[in-house]
Amino acid sequence: MDKFIVNIIHRPELVPEYIDRSAQAGQTEELSKREVIYESLDIFRLQQEIAHRNHLRTTIQMTYASLFNQEAIALAKQHHDLYGDEISLTFLGLNCKEFRERFHNKELAIWLYSLEDKKVIVTELFERFYQEFGFYPTSTGSYYMDADLVRFIKERYPMVKIAIATCFEEGPRVFHNCNNSWYTLLDGGPWTAWIPSKQNIHCLAKDAVDDIGIVAIPHLSRDLLASVDSPGLFFGTHPQNILRGMVYEGDQIPYMYNLVDQYRALARYNGGLGYNMVFVGPGWMGKDGRWEASHALCVKSYEDFLAYYGELKQRGEVVDQTMSEFADTFRAHQAYTEPLCALWKDILYGTGNQVFWYADPHFRVLVDMKQGGAITDLRPYAAQLQRPVGVGTPNLQNACYPYLLQSHYRAGAFTHYAGEGAIKSCKVRYGTEEIDLSACRTQAHYAQVNGSRVLILDPVSLEFSGLSIQLVTTIRFPENSGEIWISRRVVSSSNPTAQITVDEYITSCYGTTEYPEDLTGVQLAVTGTDGLTQILDYAYRCRELHQANATQVLGIVPQVNSVMEMETDSPNVIGYVREGYAFSPNLTLGMQKTIGVNEELLTCLKVAKAK
Amino acid sequence: MSQGRKGKVNYRCPVCFDREWDIDLLYDIEKNEFYCLRCNYVGGEADILARYQNTKTKYRDRLKRFTLADFE
Repeated sequence: MDKFIVNIIHRPELVPEYIDRSAQAGQTEELSKREVIYESLDIFRLQQEIAHRNHLRTTIQMTYASLFNQEAIALAKQHHDLYGDEISLTFLGLNCKEFRERFHNKELAIWLYSLEDKKVIVTELFERFYQEFGFYPTSTGSYYMDADLVRFIKERYPMVKIAIATCFEEGPRVFHNCNNSWYTLLDGGPWTAWIPSKQNIHCLAKDAVDDIGIVAIPHLSRDLLASVDSPGLFFGTHPQNILRGMVYEGDQIPYMYNLVDQYRALARYNGGLGYNMVFVGPGWMGKDGRWEASHALCVKSYEDFLAYYGELKQRGEVVDQTMSEFADTFRAHQAYTEPLCALWKDILYGTGNQVFWYADPHFRVLVDMKQGGAITDLRPYAAQLQRPVGVGTPNLQNACYPYLLQSHYRAGAFTHYAGEGAIKSCKVRYGTEEIDLSACRTQAHYAQVNGSRVLILDPVSLEFSGLSIQLVTTIRFPENSGEIWISRRVVSSSNPTAQITVDEYITSCYGTTEYPEDLTGVQLAVTGTDGLTQILDYAYRCRELHQANATQVLGIVPQVNSVMEMETDSPNVIGYVREGYAFSPNLTLGMQKTIGVNEELLTCLKVAKAK
Repeated sequence: MSQGRKGKVNYRCPVCFDREWDIDLLYDIEKNEFYCLRCNYVGGEADILARYQNTKTKYRDRLKRFTLADFE
């Protein structure tokens, strides 16, 4: 039987963000301002009361400021005793009078400190927590925690078993949303709980040796389709997200229930386990309201939201666990090699569009059915890129996990010049005409077959002058292989003797933002059935290599320590690699074959760590 | 020209919001109008609300309640 678990996490942040609004209104910043602290505590108390009235338990993540506030400490202890809430520790809300006096810094993000400072801050918070509660927390979190930070915490405080470790797809889109001033550049990670690698927190651990020792959860459960092209902070399991995105009319917000329900449905793709996390601070429920929403609407939205979880609980359709309880549940459920999967349907724009997210220790992949099943995002987890962040590291604020393909950042099927940007798709040719399958909307059906996760796409119709064909795409992810097998099969034709050419390709680059990176050093190669290999070193010279009877095309991208190989067992395949040029800074690997009705081109894309 | 200040409600610029940017508007008390520091939007409360309403139309299912069966 499927199980759906929710973590409800509150934090008594005593100096929340609306203090900035007071400052902007002409008041000076005074971090110990008593009325702010009282109001924040009142809001925290109200949020707790809303959860408890719905018979939901919470995880109380104590902020540094709250560890100096006896009322907050007493509330946490009382709610632990009365309701079974877990008392936890967060690195959010660092900024307070006590922190500034001790550390002489206004930095609010734990991941952006130097590693030395991180260690001092972690120790101070954990020891302060112990001093107040007499035990160490077993859960913690922030908006982001890099692998170095988590490894240190785990080494020093081995009882920690779970952390909020990223915000799903908070990267360039959220940065732009916040007037280029919100430095959560951390996209490329999983959308749901995972066991992280010791090398990079975004990556799934490949085995027990690679296991960093905690379960990670993302900050909020976000709309997996809306977040692809829009800032995810409009579309998450936090009413403020949804109010911020203006996805409501009056006081009606059905979208927030739809979001929960679709997460419930994801259990079927993940061995029967569905997961949601709700994580709210007090700042958005202040007396001035938040965004355009009044205080009353903010409160009502949270009451309605938790009432829905309460209803589900009464019906036995959700289990409210604390973070640490969920860590145990997830550990018992999840094998290292078992992928995370989500076939997500549009619940917002009225399009019927679907996307499929897949993640395992080898990669994170996004398939867009609106684009004929094209792969539009590919992150090479197999490379296990070590990217510590913070002061003193080369990456500093950029905690994103690099892509090998990102169609929204790097153009995808449509460009303003020539050819395509970053995408994995297929072109079909007949005579002088060419159709890219990314222009053919379709729908996917999910199956699990012999250890593989399989997407079977509805047939798409291709209309050429004098020929109509129907083509079916099947995408198969064999478990723990780093491979994606893609079949393009012609299932009907208006002319049974007609031959069409199917050109399976991936146009790739690398990066973490919209801007191009230097591809110098990339190596491209094509190998024939005779075993001979031609090699091309990338120099922006628009060169191509072609090989009849090809068995493999390959691209090595040393900048992200990754190799992509496209292989086939089919005979009579022409393989090619394409270099690109400065105004088209991509590399292309392709395989093409001429086929007729009831024939297919079957290729395998493999992503691995470069040797 | 008077000093720009926050209005009673924390309105965001509707033009910037259509670009999915959250930029708070400032209020000019003399002209009784809001203006954006980033783009060139100027407008009164009624105009802001009308633009918000238009923006919401992209969410065609914002009032639809799906069921679990819709996700089978």
